[in-house]
Amino acid sequence: MRKYAVIYRSVLMENLQYAANIALGFVSYFIFIFVFINLWGYMYAEPGTRIGGYTKEQMIWYAMITEMIWFGARSGTVAGQASSDIRGGNIAYLMNKPYHYTLYILTRYTGEWSIRLPMYMVLAVAVGITMVGQLPGFGLPALFASAVSILLGITINGVFKLCISLMSFWIEDSTPFQWLYDKLILILGTVFPIEIFPKALQPLIRLTPIYTVCYGPAKLVVDFHGDQYLEILMAQLLYLAVGCGLMFFVYGKGVKKLYVNGG
Amino acid sequence: MLMEGDSSLKVDVMGKTDWRTEAKNQVRVCLLSVKYNIMREMINKVTFLTNICFMILNNASFLVQWAILFRLKEDIGGYTFKEVMLLWGLSAGSYGLSHIFFARVFSLPELIINGKLDAYLVLPKNVLLQVMTSSTRTSAIGDLIYGLIIICFSDLSFGKVLLFLLFTVTGALIITAFALLMGSLSFWFVRMEIFGNQMLNALVSFATYPDGIFKGAVKFLLYFIIPTGMMVYLPVHVITDFDLRGLLVVFGYALLLSAVSVTVFYRGLRRYSSGNLMEARI
Repeated sequence: MRKYAVIYRSVLMENLQYAANIALGFVSYFIFIFVFINLWGYMYAEPGTRIGGYTKEQMIWYAMITEMIWFGARSGTVAGQASSDIRGGNIAYLMNKPYHYTLYILTRYTGEWSIRLPMYMVLAVAVGITMVGQLPGFGLPALFASAVSILLGITINGVFKLCISLMSFWIEDSTPFQWLYDKLILILGTVFPIEIFPKALQPLIRLTPIYTVCYGPAKLVVDFHGDQYLEILMAQLLYLAVGCGLMFFVYGKGVKKLYVNGG
Repeated sequence: MLMEGDSSLKVDVMGKTDWRTEAKNQVRVCLLSVKYNIMREMINKVTFLTNICFMILNNASFLVQWAILFRLKEDIGGYTFKEVMLLWGLSAGSYGLSHIFFARVFSLPELIINGKLDAYLVLPKNVLLQVMTSSTRTSAIGDLIYGLIIICFSDLSFGKVLLFLLFTVTGALIITAFALLMGSLSFWFVRMEIFGNQMLNALVSFATYPDGIFKGAVKFLLYFIIPTGMMVYLPVHVITDFDLRGLLVVFGYALLLSAVSVTVFYRGLRRYSSGNLMEARI
């Protein structure tokens, strides 16, 4: 484990140097949140309205938390780097190192979001409190539960994105598949909660990564219930176990297909 | 050297090239450049087609989001579902057209900062057009096709389809000119590419939401600072409820922004200094 700790520390230090660059991305986050505030402001035109059981404040906070996860977990490592390592042949050097390639990439990813996420968290709280107002009913239990859930959600997201990148062993460019995964999360997971979907679709959506990556953590922030926390936590652990299993399986199969041309 | 009977260039007695012939040649070179960009991208056919098809699917996925939102309310910001689709079609079409023909404009700051403009400065054709047409984004073909699919399903009259196509061109012109303007700022300021990218992101992000949900100063900002209003909002209003004045305003704005951005680029080019970078353009 020590070697992964060393990798994590070096990536963390490297990313600390670029904290100012990360902060420049705040503008994009703010634009999205601004659009959602206006959109939901229009949808909740009549005071006291509830949509899918959510108040206007809860709905906007939901979007802010999911976007915070989305922006905080943005990483070129699990998507771009892994894919280009495979395509470019760099993986031939990396797979011979005394670590498992997939865990190396995940450690780098963790080092990246360890800087990004807290920065976006501060921004989300600042924007939320000034533009939307405090979230009623949010206390220490919700804070603890949602923190664990957010970390698990981000890790699951990284594992699934890496699985998609590993498809580069078979197809040259896995980017289009990344788009589809991103859109699944971004469009169906960040704008509104699962309760807004038609009733017939809701059980299906709960089986997708949306439930464990976006919905679960954000739901715990805006509307915390102990029993639901356990349900979300179990789903996340299950998803993580299945995702890691899939990741090791795909990587194991993929490296057997690897051809490296000298150069 | 011109050979006798060479019809590609007409030279008058003073030795000056006829401007119409010059313009025709310039357009031909640009089209050839785009053609070769696409042929280069097509070397791997599977990747090429996957990029296009998945971009269409990517854009289509937003239909689900809007279908769900319209279940909650019949009109959003004064738009019906059909009008939002029109907004999407116009945004995707304009973005696609711009990135097929002028994708390099969107990475202009990188060329300026790294001194990579040298290769274009020594070419015997217009520098700006050579730079702009030197790259094509494959997925943008998917964006353009998506825009065209939208009009096929939107049950528009022939006149409105023509308007849609016309506004796709003006939209592409506006987004390209805005990217050129933002990119050219890198001639003067360091790290301006980050600001430029944020502005372009804002332009695209706002372009897929109805303008009716925004009020006051934001609306002003969207029409006059970030040109989303002129790129898609006003065109959608003109398509749904024809207004000649609106049409002329969009045209005038597209031309004005193009002229300003080209002027700023050439002003900035005077400040450009080479990075003495040796590289081959293949």
